[in-house]
Amino acid sequence: MRHVIPRGVAVVAGGLIAVGVTLAADLDEVRRRGELVWAADQEGGGPHVFPDPADPRRITGFEVELADLVAGELGVKARFQQGQWDRLPLLLDQSADCVINGIELTPERRRDYGCSRPYFGYALQLLGRRGSPPATFADLTAAGPSGLWRVGVLTGSAAETELRSRAASGELHVEVIGYDGTLDSLEQVQSGVLDAAVMDDCIFTFYADRFAGLRTIDRPFAGGLYTVLTSKATPALVAAIDVALGRLIANGRLKSLYDRWDLAGRQQMLMLRDAAEIPPARRRSLGELVRQSVPLLLSSAGMTVLLSCAAFPLAIAVGLAVAIGRLHGPTWLRPLLTGYVEVLRGTPLMLQLYAIFFLLPKIGLALPALVAAILGLALNYSAYESEIYRAGLKAVPLGQFEAALSLGLTKWQALRHVLVPQAVRIVMPPVTSDFIALFKDTSVCSAITVIELTKRYSVLALSTGRIVELALVTAVLYLAMSWPLSLLSRWFEARLERTAGPTQ
Amino acid sequence: MIEVESLTKHRAGLPVLDAVSLRGVDGGVTVLVGPSGGGKSTLLRCLNGLETFEGGGITIAGHRLAVGPHSDVGLHELRRDVGMVFQQFNLFPHLSVLDNVMLAPRAVLKVPAEEARSRALDLLNRVGLGSFAAARPATLSGGQQQRVAIARALAMRPRVMLFDEPTSALDPSMTSEVLDVIMDLAKAGQTMVVVTHDHGFAKRAATLVVELVAGRVARQGRAEEIL
Repeated sequence: MRHVIPRGVAVVAGGLIAVGVTLAADLDEVRRRGELVWAADQEGGGPHVFPDPADPRRITGFEVELADLVAGELGVKARFQQGQWDRLPLLLDQSADCVINGIELTPERRRDYGCSRPYFGYALQLLGRRGSPPATFADLTAAGPSGLWRVGVLTGSAAETELRSRAASGELHVEVIGYDGTLDSLEQVQSGVLDAAVMDDCIFTFYADRFAGLRTIDRPFAGGLYTVLTSKATPALVAAIDVALGRLIANGRLKSLYDRWDLAGRQQMLMLRDAAEIPPARRRSLGELVRQSVPLLLSSAGMTVLLSCAAFPLAIAVGLAVAIGRLHGPTWLRPLLTGYVEVLRGTPLMLQLYAIFFLLPKIGLALPALVAAILGLALNYSAYESEIYRAGLKAVPLGQFEAALSLGLTKWQALRHVLVPQAVRIVMPPVTSDFIALFKDTSVCSAITVIELTKRYSVLALSTGRIVELALVTAVLYLAMSWPLSLLSRWFEARLERTAGPTQ
Repeated sequence: MIEVESLTKHRAGLPVLDAVSLRGVDGGVTVLVGPSGGGKSTLLRCLNGLETFEGGGITIAGHRLAVGPHSDVGLHELRRDVGMVFQQFNLFPHLSVLDNVMLAPRAVLKVPAEEARSRALDLLNRVGLGSFAAARPATLSGGQQQRVAIARALAMRPRVMLFDEPTSALDPSMTSEVLDVIMDLAKAGQTMVVVTHDHGFAKRAATLVVELVAGRVARQGRAEEIL
């Protein structure tokens, strides 16, 4: 059967790209459907949205109940949509009507999205290790025992924005390190990699038992409000949500929900009643955007180059050694090396980076993020390179090995002078193509706080709302880096064809 | 210098060599002839340890090969003294002609670069290819490549040279340039074992002809008696 894209869809899709209208359903569509699709990240954890300990297939949390209440007020059912937390707003153009997941109300969001009235007041809390500095929040205003205080935050959170701006203004002597997981920074404080972490106080309160070695430092030092985020294209929906929230506040159901979750319902209601309106931020001109973002993108592109150029030679060296070991090493070694290859090829790079960065500190081996990233990439790619080299070594005719041996060369001399140089030439094209693949895989390293080009793009795109323009700039930067690599590999191939034809 | 006693080798349960015994001629040319599959090449490959065997033994250039897996060290020693030229040349395609000839003396005998180079150039001149030193093997004709392979084996100054059908992969027009080189070696008193189908060459060069049929020595003697 042929699939034909209806002309109307094509026109709408074209319009989307051209002017950035969205497909999100407005209130009527939500009612017709009978479902309010709300997006959140269950990995974000409690008390907001998290897998029910009693039945991990279900989700629970105060925002899950809030979504049910709001949907009930609209006369529909709530349906949950999973997404990655720092990209949840992008789902508004795709599959979700709204985001309910600890989204702070900021001037930029007021400008770029439809924001409901606040439904929760949060407070930012500094957390540290028991018995270790800093002792007070004020300690952060001077240098720590080893220079800047290392403080972890959730990437894209209010804690990150707040700390970065205070660090940039010189008020705080901190290095801010962003993590993708809510609890990652707590793990890192506990294992001694970080001096402190900052997060919403209700999150720490919820998980405090799991991190017995950590403590709160002073009272919360800043705070803000959570909003239900919707698309600008659905004004009727956001108005209806505002009305729903107003009713839930007035009839006491929101207060009792918060009390059930131990979130100080009365205090919350007072905060919501007195919450001041936040004016939307000004939209920046394209020129301003380019001036502000290109230097940042360029420096992150430098990180991408550094990661690939440091990791790939290591991957090749280890991969070649593994390939030689599997083909010519002692018999007892071969199954071990096969296991090495299968484990590294068969598990995601992301997990390997996590293991190196988050698990090694638990056995006392804390590696800096950059070193962990390079090591992880190198190990992961060494498995692929070893398979390529193994094929390359097997592709060298047996007669070459016999000729070398019959000249009196030892097995290792034959490998070094005869087999490996020929294998290297044979595998040059797939190895180059792997280098380009690794080059793009460096983006996974953002999971362990290394900010490279893709991460920088998504942070900038979300903070400025200029998703398309910045995507173009980022794509151009990637191409500018990978295109020369392709040329280089073609030049190599041409050169090899000239110099080394077949023997016979 | 070459002594083979009751050499027996099986492949897939069938005898390839069945109690083969022979004594090579010191300073002479021993030619192995016989139908394809008769065991000539296998015997030759046993002589420098590229193959193992299940019965009998070999003494060659003062080294002893016995039944079972050979020790790496022993083979390494043996192959310094026993050179081999293959049917398919097996030149190293990533190295120049000169580097092909220099590699083993440099890597195995640790001959200084300058000495290895002049020795290699002498050998290339001797096989008529001095002007091709900088060329890549792929740019040479088959006959030229085989002459380089001979020079490469000679660079180790072997006491015994083994030739495995050195002209079978060549156009007929190129066989004589290779055979002439081998004849020159024979006149210089190089001990050699040559596997060949070329009876004309066998008649000209052989000191001793050994005919292998179905893995056994069918006949052996002077060329005019056998061929």
